[in-house]
Amino acid sequence: MDKKKNLPIFLLISVFIIATCGLIYELVAGALASYLLGDSVKQFSFIIGTYLFAMGVGSFFAKFIVKNLLDRFIDIELLIGIIGGTSSVILFLLFQQVEHFQLILYLFVFLTGCLSGMEIPLLMNILKDRVNFRDLVSNVFTFDYIGALIASVLFPILLIPKLGVMGTSLFFGIINVTVGIFLSFYLSKQLKNPIILKIKSLVCFIILIGLFFYSNELLKYSENQLYSTNVIYKHSTPYQRIVLTEAKGEYQLFLNNNLQFNTKDEYRYHETLVHPAMSIAKSPKKVLVLGGGDGLAVREILKYSSVEKVVLVDLDEGMTKLFQTNELLRKHNANALNNARVEVINMDAFLWVKEAKDKFDVMIIDFPDPSNYSLGKLYTNNFYKSLYPLMEPQCIVSVQTTSPYFAPKSYWCIYETIASVFPNNLAYHTYVPSFGEWGFNLFSPDMRVNFNRVNQRVPNLKYYNYNLQKMTDFPADMKAVDVEINRLDNQILVRYFDEEWSKI
Amino acid sequence: MNTIFLKLTGTNHILGHKLRFPDFPNISEILEVPVLIIGGGIAGLTAGYTLNKRGGKDFFLVELDAETGGNAKSGENKYSKYPLGAHYLPLPNASNVELIDFLFDVGVVIGRDDNGNPIFDEEQLSFAPQERLFIKNYWQEGIVPQYGSSDADQQELTRFLHKMEEFKALKDQNGHYIFNIPMCYSSPEKFDLGLDQITMEEWLRKEGYTSSYLHEYLNYCCRDDYGTGIKYTAAFAVIHYFAARKHDFKKYEDAVLTWQEGNGRLAKLLAESFENQILKQHMVYKITVNESNVEVLLFDAQRKVSKKIIAEKVINCCPQYVNKYLLPQRVKNFQLLQYAPWIVATVVLHKFPFADGANLAWENIIFGAKGLGYVYAQHQSLGQFKSPFVISYYHSLDGTDLNEQRRKLYNQTDEQWKEFIIKDLSIAHFGIEDEIISIEIFRHGHGMVSPIPGYLSSEYRKQLTLPIANKIFFAHSDLSGISIFEEAFYQGREAVYDMLDNWEA
Ligand SMILES: Cc1cc2nc3c(=O)[nH]c(=O)nc-3n(C[C@H](O)[C@H](O)[C@H](O)COP(=O)(O)OP(=O)(O)OC[C@H]3O[C@@H](n4cnc5c(N)ncnc54)[C@H](O)[C@@H]3O)c2cc1C
Repeated sequence: MDKKKNLPIFLLISVFIIATCGLIYELVAGALASYLLGDSVKQFSFIIGTYLFAMGVGSFFAKFIVKNLLDRFIDIELLIGIIGGTSSVILFLLFQQVEHFQLILYLFVFLTGCLSGMEIPLLMNILKDRVNFRDLVSNVFTFDYIGALIASVLFPILLIPKLGVMGTSLFFGIINVTVGIFLSFYLSKQLKNPIILKIKSLVCFIILIGLFFYSNELLKYSENQLYSTNVIYKHSTPYQRIVLTEAKGEYQLFLNNNLQFNTKDEYRYHETLVHPAMSIAKSPKKVLVLGGGDGLAVREILKYSSVEKVVLVDLDEGMTKLFQTNELLRKHNANALNNARVEVINMDAFLWVKEAKDKFDVMIIDFPDPSNYSLGKLYTNNFYKSLYPLMEPQCIVSVQTTSPYFAPKSYWCIYETIASVFPNNLAYHTYVPSFGEWGFNLFSPDMRVNFNRVNQRVPNLKYYNYNLQKMTDFPADMKAVDVEINRLDNQILVRYFDEEWSKI
Repeated sequence: MNTIFLKLTGTNHILGHKLRFPDFPNISEILEVPVLIIGGGIAGLTAGYTLNKRGGKDFFLVELDAETGGNAKSGENKYSKYPLGAHYLPLPNASNVELIDFLFDVGVVIGRDDNGNPIFDEEQLSFAPQERLFIKNYWQEGIVPQYGSSDADQQELTRFLHKMEEFKALKDQNGHYIFNIPMCYSSPEKFDLGLDQITMEEWLRKEGYTSSYLHEYLNYCCRDDYGTGIKYTAAFAVIHYFAARKHDFKKYEDAVLTWQEGNGRLAKLLAESFENQILKQHMVYKITVNESNVEVLLFDAQRKVSKKIIAEKVINCCPQYVNKYLLPQRVKNFQLLQYAPWIVATVVLHKFPFADGANLAWENIIFGAKGLGYVYAQHQSLGQFKSPFVISYYHSLDGTDLNEQRRKLYNQTDEQWKEFIIKDLSIAHFGIEDEIISIEIFRHGHGMVSPIPGYLSSEYRKQLTLPIANKIFFAHSDLSGISIFEEAFYQGREAVYDMLDNWEA
């Protein structure tokens, strides 16, 4: 075969591949920016603008390359492959670390744009003496635009679903470099420094292949970065994603990326949730826990010797199993969920409550915050009404009711909702460093129950001192007026909650 | 490729078609009963419920299908119950005392407040969020189109809704509402405004409403309630939809009564007290009035035998497109009696592909789609939402020639319906096909009656309601012309009272 004659064809095919790859990097940057920074319209628009501008800059500088055009062309090819290919990996890893993430992002976009911009002028210079100029111009641009079309169609339909962002950019980096390898071997004779180019291209290739196969591991690593500590356990149940992390000997549990507890200060939360209710009740025998599959509330409950039976209802078997079996976590909840007095039921709490026949002296309700319409049902007047048949006449109930500081309307909405069913209720709050100010609610069906009367105590608590009155004072910045009652048919609480937490 | 399990079901149209070309076995059994109720839709079940409650007269109810409920039938799978037709009942007007009493009897109303207003069981009211609309690539809350509309559109919408408020309050000199539910409670002069003689589209043009937003919105409401769009439906009926419900119980705002199985729940509550008097898979094919009784011939589709029931009185709760075969001597006017065909597809899916805007609601409507959106059945569960999701997709086949549409309904294969449904849902949920586990396509050959211009005010309709020889009493929502639960309930109840009041000593 006559290599000289085929040269234009091969170079045109490279134009096509280059154009495809170039657009892919641009789309990867756009997608990444909208994942990590939000506001996709803005991100995409800025990135496309920067990229196009950078191409112009590249074209301008191309005229300064006058010697060894083919060698430089391959160089550029390799550079784009390695920069574009690794861009998403590097950006992912840097996201958590650096302050000026946007700057780096645009730097990458600019570099790939600039290099892509150089290619076409360079190529036209290489080919201008070998082919008719009129053909050259139109062929080069035809291939350039076809490549762009293919890239933009494949990207959302095939690439992102199959390879993910990281995989896609690495994959195209590899293609880019492969073109470089091919040209450096195939055109060896016409190159000034064929050996060096061959070595360079092979090294690039190996780097990218390596990263490609480790991209899964990398993703994990970058997730660790997200939690800023070591992820020691990760598990997805049908209901939620459980992640356990460790930092400086303390453990943190995340459910769907929301911090559930930190071993450093969870005792503050759980003591405040459990002991007021347990100490006001008169030697409680049967205790119901709704939610709280971590067993930490149960740990506190079991400190009272009057307790004969604890029923814990948690939706997620994955969660309760974890806290029944994992060595580390069992140590933490004092093996509460394996205690003979404890019965664990994995069911939807609302549905269970509707069918249950038992009666209880104390109930501890520890559901996730009402962040969606599903969870919102567990804070409706209807839900509280449904508890009534399960209550002993003097039953005491305590509920975690989100932060009165960050979400005062939500907090007082829950308070009013409870009050509409059980007028004898009490709002109280305390400070948990990992969470900030946190709020709770106590109520009883018996109007005569006095929440300030302590009937029994257990020794050696780390935080709660049986002085509830101290926790019932709310400064002005934790108050809200004119809140509606949360019902199944309005779910107003979810709206308040959304409004308030999205401000933070 | 994701394989989707498909199933094509529907009302028993094969058996129904036998009526047209009768060829039944000879009578092998004769039964006698004082009262026979024919048809187990809401009207028939209400008749049974009322008669049972009043007591004193023994009766049977015969139903063609394997289950009662008619257009309010429901189904059930591993994950949820779901409606196959009617799915909700709006809160009744305060004047509809009989219906409120019934709701009290069956535990939907649980008490009365200090003003004597009913207290509805919260678990049977539609949960929030009630409705959302997909418009301009975005899910907005509520179904009145707002997102991305111009000021001119909004002004017209406001003007229209304002006009409806006027109609809602409109009364005649005697203090009767022009628009009320049931229709029989409204003013006898209600048709004097001429609204029944023109289509809704003509009325809109006449009144200067041109916004395409408003037209599309009204077309949706109209098809949802009557099967046919504003091009074919009488203005009176569409205005009735907005003006006849008085929202008397303010604290419930726009809430409606609904259940996972839709109005199938009400059908079950009605039937509960006389379950063992119901003969299913029994199709009546001929009714003859004698001097002293009525002879009814039926085909028992299970045992493949024919029977004769001799009754003193019959309460006929069949739709009129069936009655023309049972009582051939009845006056016919097919042009005025129209029923749009429907499909209700139960789609089971792993999850919804991501879409921008409001959260999954009970009613989810896609602006400008072919179908009428979907209802999320499990929304009424007290439990947490979880996969798989069961949704009911509604579509009415409207057009100039409804018989043509009916042929289309039955000629399309399950694969073709699947394509159709997926394409329609994909407008709002790109990629939904990959999430779908199964689709059950339930076909209603004849949905509810469509109040085309002239039907409601016609002499013909009035004639159809009249008893024959004080022996056959008629009850069906198509006799009201506005096919809703309240009308069917009123019809069934009224027929029983009419019959008992005129029972010769
Ligand atoms: C898809 C759809 C959705 C709807 N949604 C709503 C809604 O959300 N809310 C609402 O209020 N209304 C709705 N409707 C209107 C609904 O039709 C009425 O509410 C009501 O259910 C009608 O009851 P009916 O008894 O008048 O008639 P049908 O339901 O038609 O009952 C007639 C019964 O007679 C039986 N029958 C017929 N012929 C014979 C025979 N020869 N022998 C024995 N039995 C026979 C039929 O099988 C049927 O069970 C909807 C209707 C449809 C089609």
